[in-house]
Amino acid sequence: MPKIVIDDKELDFNQGQTIIQIAEENGIDIPHFCWHECLSVSGNCRMCLVEVEKIPKLVIACSTIAADGMVVHTQSEKTVKARSAVMEFLLINHPLDCPICDEAGECKLQQYAYSHSVGESRFTEEKNHKKKRVPLGPYVMFDAERCISCSRCIRFCDEIAGEKQLTFVQRGDKVTIVTAPGKQLDNPYSLNVTDICPVGALTNRDFRFKSRVWDMSSTKSICSGCSRGCNIEVWVRNNEILRLTPRHNAEVNSYWMCDNGRLNTFKHVNAENRVDGPYLKREGNLIKTGWDEAIAFAVSELKSFGKDEIAFIGSAFATCEDNYIFAKFAKSAWSAKNIDFLRHVKPGESDKLLVMEDKSPNALGAQLAGIQPGKGGLNFEGIIHAIKEGKIKALYLLEDDLAAIKPEYESALKKLELLIVHSSNFNKTTDIADLILPASTYAEKHGTFVNFDGRVQRIRSAVTTEDFDRSLDGFEQSRLDKFGSPFDKWSSPKKMDARSSWRIIAAMYSALGHKIKHTMSQEVFDEISETIPEFQGLNYSVIGDTGAKIKLKSAETKSIKV
Amino acid sequence: MEFSFSEENKNKIPDILKKYPHAEAAVMPVLYLAQEQNGWISQEVINEVASVLKMPSEDVLGVATFYTMYHKSPAGKYHIQVCTNVSCMLRGGYDIYEGVKKRLGIENGGVTPDSKFSLEEVECMGSCGTAPMLAVNEDYFENLTVDKAIEILDSLK
Amino acid sequence: MERIVLPDIKDLHLIDVYIQNGGYQAVKKAYAMSTDDVIAEVKKSGLRGRGGAAFATGLKWSFMPKTTDKPKYLCVNGDESEPGSFKDRQIFEFNPHQLLEGVLIACYAIQAKAAYIYIRGEYAKWVKLLQKALDDAYDKGFVGEKMKETLGSQFSCDIFIHKGAGAYICGEESALMNSIEGKRAYPRVKPPFPASNGLWGNPTTINNIETITNVPAIINKGAEWFSKIGEPKHPGTILCGVSGHVNKPGVYEIPTGTLLTDVIYKLAGGVPGDKKIKCVIPGGSSMPPLRGDQLEGVKMDADSLKAIGSGIGTAGVIVMDEDTNLVKVLARISKFYHHESCGQCTPCREGAGWLQKVLERIAAGNGVSSDLDLLISIASNIEGNTVCALGEAAAWPVRFMVTKFRQEFETYVKADVSIPVPNKVHSMRATEFPVADIKL
Repeated sequence: MPKIVIDDKELDFNQGQTIIQIAEENGIDIPHFCWHECLSVSGNCRMCLVEVEKIPKLVIACSTIAADGMVVHTQSEKTVKARSAVMEFLLINHPLDCPICDEAGECKLQQYAYSHSVGESRFTEEKNHKKKRVPLGPYVMFDAERCISCSRCIRFCDEIAGEKQLTFVQRGDKVTIVTAPGKQLDNPYSLNVTDICPVGALTNRDFRFKSRVWDMSSTKSICSGCSRGCNIEVWVRNNEILRLTPRHNAEVNSYWMCDNGRLNTFKHVNAENRVDGPYLKREGNLIKTGWDEAIAFAVSELKSFGKDEIAFIGSAFATCEDNYIFAKFAKSAWSAKNIDFLRHVKPGESDKLLVMEDKSPNALGAQLAGIQPGKGGLNFEGIIHAIKEGKIKALYLLEDDLAAIKPEYESALKKLELLIVHSSNFNKTTDIADLILPASTYAEKHGTFVNFDGRVQRIRSAVTTEDFDRSLDGFEQSRLDKFGSPFDKWSSPKKMDARSSWRIIAAMYSALGHKIKHTMSQEVFDEISETIPEFQGLNYSVIGDTGAKIKLKSAETKSIKV
Repeated sequence: MEFSFSEENKNKIPDILKKYPHAEAAVMPVLYLAQEQNGWISQEVINEVASVLKMPSEDVLGVATFYTMYHKSPAGKYHIQVCTNVSCMLRGGYDIYEGVKKRLGIENGGVTPDSKFSLEEVECMGSCGTAPMLAVNEDYFENLTVDKAIEILDSLK
Repeated sequence: MERIVLPDIKDLHLIDVYIQNGGYQAVKKAYAMSTDDVIAEVKKSGLRGRGGAAFATGLKWSFMPKTTDKPKYLCVNGDESEPGSFKDRQIFEFNPHQLLEGVLIACYAIQAKAAYIYIRGEYAKWVKLLQKALDDAYDKGFVGEKMKETLGSQFSCDIFIHKGAGAYICGEESALMNSIEGKRAYPRVKPPFPASNGLWGNPTTINNIETITNVPAIINKGAEWFSKIGEPKHPGTILCGVSGHVNKPGVYEIPTGTLLTDVIYKLAGGVPGDKKIKCVIPGGSSMPPLRGDQLEGVKMDADSLKAIGSGIGTAGVIVMDEDTNLVKVLARISKFYHHESCGQCTPCREGAGWLQKVLERIAAGNGVSSDLDLLISIASNIEGNTVCALGEAAAWPVRFMVTKFRQEFETYVKADVSIPVPNKVHSMRATEFPVADIKL
């Protein structure tokens, strides 16, 4: 294997690799702006200039192919000088608006100004002025003065989103970025440009001026928008989700996520229509009630039906843990056979990059966790049919707004004598329900989703509820969480009275006299991995931050592709 | 303002395309053709050129704005270009430029109200040996004095 | 002296006159040789590029891959936009067929299927002149499919003219290729080099107009003959454009190694009013300038000029007399490189404008003594750190002009002006935190 020496470290590499790639792999940081692992090399920022022995000029690490025996210095006097020269050039026309710039705190330019700059400017001329606040599209705002012309956004659209939408215009220091006349930056992945923009030139219009980034906590989680299971960070300030950003996972989503997932999968968590505490329907009116009363109601009402009169519908939106306890509850406490869940597949609504036809995050997980008809039991359509015929009179429904999907389902649900629903928000289905149990959203609990590909991935609690869902690996806290005092505006967050579905069911289980030993979701998962062969050998630490693949039987793979 | 290529110009495009193995390479000559017809490169011109060459209009726009000879706004009937770069400067290029400015009553980049003249201070045109110079559209006038330059302007109908 | 590139023959631009004077014989001779022999002959002649870098032409041709499935191309660089350069336009006007014949020979040597002659857009008139010559050559069967018949060879190639549209950067070879491809003329990051990855990703050679125009003469009269003209290490003639403060500005074809003072005083007729020379830029505006007292004995060839800290560049000699305001000249030169910076890479995009701003401030009388070192520092920070050589082109005139004429610049910046308080704004590392002085 060929070898290269970078900063006195001898390193193996594969033929064709560039210096920066080898450095990255080996934890050597070569500062850069324009280079991005997933984009073509453009070589324009000049920040990654390094010294290579026997080459008179400095070379850029991003485009220089390593050769056997090459000796590279990233910290030599010449390199440090060139780097601070590049920094000085980048800063002379860059506006000093860090105090009002959304990028501040996660800005490469700001960071490098601290670590690679000389600390003062010799520039006393007037800075160049360009357009500020140009909406490039529905979600992305552009500030031309902050732009350092690295072309990452242009390359992202060309190479990843597959749609030419941005171009450089003009030349020299007048260069700026525009969309073509009459067009806008509106590809389904447009917001990724705000992540890869190394400065605050491109910002997320949905998040602009909502918070300083250092005032938020960020929690590793999974997008619930479809069965891809894009890895994300959930950003929270004052117990409120302000934005989602993609988190790198080479096996799942690379560095990207779609705009729909980013913008439309967290607002229900903060929404006004949250179910805040259990609700009982009394004489046609929903009345808030206590947990004990709600659980006692559920148990006693369910008892009044025969086992063939009850159906249990799990959820592709709930975690494996929720579905597992639900299925166990249905089977062992009620000897139920009519168990299934609804698959949310929208044929044709997928793309080549990330978006999947299955619009739920955990269909495969629900199925594997045991949400399947028992022997002789009815499947989902069968259950609906039986409800319409009056054969099934009671339904226990987990986290799925069935009534909103089809009028047929809505009218069927209306025929039920008893409808128990777990739901995070009020919706068409809760309108019909007899008992509404407030379910935590994916952002308020721990658990696992299994994506279309059979990868088990963890979601984590990013927002606290009154009944806080803890895990052994803790809870991400923001600066404000840690240092806020009761007198601060941000320290009296709104907390929902909601619980993970599996905990609610576990309480019901206890009410029936069974013992549920689990106190944390990871213990539920441990039981899953002991009892369900596909999950064998897995636990939360094995799953880790980037997930673990389970072994799928071909039948299962097929069923999820329906 | 609508723009589409005249029949005559449309017929020239296949010959331009024959010069290159890829259609996008024809963007510069086709932009010239459009400018000849329309006088300047408008948004509509960008879109028409893009559709004729089946290339993204973003790329056409990027190219049109990179090169200074494509007018991004309407130019006068006579586009006056005065070189003030070093060789002309040494031989009175700035005197010519100032004289022309005064005569036309417009600044750099300006167009006279009657749209007859537009003015551009340009970089070296390759007339260093015959400096100073000005160009009217494509024609060079060299070895100038201020008087000669004014005479040339006045002779333009 | 014999003129090779611009012979003194009336109406040589007409194809019939060119043929009567032995035109299109070299191409026949070359096509009867093997391609290796043609390249060897050009190598042996010692011909070096006339576009600025003075790279050995035959050697450049030999870089082209012999075995490849890809089409190969020749680009001929007639972008000629360096201030002080106006030589190629003489070839388009007075000897276009020798250029075309040279293109045909070069295409054969490197087995190119087509050549693109890039001419700057401002040269609209000369584009038309060359196009006329090219059409005539096609009609006579010297170019295109018909040449197989006319020249009795297996080889044929096409020649196309690509007209630029106003961008100095297109003179940079990879920017030129992007421009032909219909893109923004951003120079490409090298490697890969054009010989492996040029036009549309195919093997490509790029030569200057004047370089190529020398080739038919070399084939006709032999490498031996050519190598004996002028300086042995940089043989042949060069088209030397003289401009600025001389009595007879113009293009002169001179053997390499001609004394610069002979060019200025004998050919260009000396300085008007017999004034002294303050400064000469010998190779187009990007080359380091020479002081008037440095001219004695300086020869016009690549190595001699390099030896005294300048360069042959495009042999555009710009003469400035003793009354010239060099601060204003340098500010104007900097304005040019700022205007022409493509904007792709950081040091040139930002630095070129900064240089201009500082120089214009100095020229306006608002300079301070620290500005001169600042200029040199900015220039040094651009040099060597950019994608293409425009970085050096922008930096060199500033660095060398300020260094060589420091005295003149010193008198321009006000004496005893305190250095402006630096903006301690960019980094926490070197910033002392201000202590607020609060009075209640």
